[in-house]
Amino acid sequence: MNIWKVFKAVFSAFIGVQSEKNRLEDFQANSPIPFILVGILMVLIFIFSLVYLVNFMVYLM
Amino acid sequence: MKERSCSSAVLIILAALWSVSAQADWALNMTEGVTEVSRSIYSLHMQIFWICVVIAIAVFSVMFWSIIHHRKSVGAKAEQFHENTTVELIWTIVPVLILVAMAVPATTTLIEMYDTSDSDVDIQVTGYQWKWQYQYLGEDLSFFSNLSTNPDEINNKVEKNKNYLLEVDEPLVVPIGKKIRFLVTSNDVIHSWWVPAFAVKRDAIPGFINESWTRIDEVGTYRGQCAELCGKDHGFMPIVVQAVTDEDYALWLTEKKASIAAEVAAAARVWSLEELMVRGEQVYQKNCAACHQVGGQGISPMFPALKASAIATQAEQRDAHIKIVLEGRAGTAMQAYGAQLSAVELAAVITYERNAWGNDTGDIITPQSIQSMLKSK
Repeated sequence: MNIWKVFKAVFSAFIGVQSEKNRLEDFQANSPIPFILVGILMVLIFIFSLVYLVNFMVYLM
Repeated sequence: MKERSCSSAVLIILAALWSVSAQADWALNMTEGVTEVSRSIYSLHMQIFWICVVIAIAVFSVMFWSIIHHRKSVGAKAEQFHENTTVELIWTIVPVLILVAMAVPATTTLIEMYDTSDSDVDIQVTGYQWKWQYQYLGEDLSFFSNLSTNPDEINNKVEKNKNYLLEVDEPLVVPIGKKIRFLVTSNDVIHSWWVPAFAVKRDAIPGFINESWTRIDEVGTYRGQCAELCGKDHGFMPIVVQAVTDEDYALWLTEKKASIAAEVAAAARVWSLEELMVRGEQVYQKNCAACHQVGGQGISPMFPALKASAIATQAEQRDAHIKIVLEGRAGTAMQAYGAQLSAVELAAVITYERNAWGNDTGDIITPQSIQSMLKSK
């Protein structure tokens, strides 16, 4: 299971669109831990990019 | 034949609807307002409305076209498939793009709305059950704004005027073309200060100060209401704002301060029982009648009667009566009027309560005695 595939799976979950083929492939993984860790990481990235965006907009105005 | 009568019925209904709307001159849309911010909110509202209309037409057209062209009776056969990632991606990405396109102008307006810096006039707006207090910061000017609608109109005894429940005794007066900052707070429960023409609606929360601002373009009278359910008389604490020119504003400030000074000076002279009763009745109608009722009978058990009550008739309860009016009663709607009314008004209203509705105690409460009680506190 390469890390790029984990990112792709988590991103698909974020936007809610995933093909059945990829989903079955993801469920072949031995452990859910990489998905959970990448999920938490991407949530943090999402939150901080929103915070940064808002601060940047306020700074621009 | 049947079809024809059907379509003519539809025509009649449409014509009737059109004439009703044309005659009644009612508007379903929000007001465009008289400030730059209110106009940009209005145009945002219209832009988003038309985006919604276009989306609705597109979606429903495709939907009805599909239903009709792929109906079973013409031999349509349903496709049996589980998913289509391409289509799913399209219907995810397109709404995101539409939302972002709407968020950009909306954010610009929101940031503008919240920028209360560099104001020319600062006014603290305090909500009370059920009136507004306006304090002009740095001007040493503060007053209450009470509903002034005739109680007979409220009780359906006379015809209602066109500003029914949207009129006050002392409107907020502000200059046009100036950035006016409102510091909104509350003395008791949560209220909300709302004037649609300025697109200002700010919650008044006890212990918090919420800021808002406006810059009015046109001279005029603008009306609003409390927009947060705040108790029995929530619908009876309107807002009236008079926007005037700079010169008129300066003139009004001088006159208003002079009349407040005259009110203070009037406390020093001698008042007869008759004078106090006349003044007291006015003060009572404005400040007390909402709970204790015009006839002094109160509303049991929430608002006690004053008519024939021990506190308003017995001589030994006189000081207790004055104390309650000045300091209020904790845990009830009875406010501390010592901080809200002038010494003359307090003396007049207590004298009125001790002599009206057959309470005939003959007591005269003087403004001087009120002043000394307020000082000794």
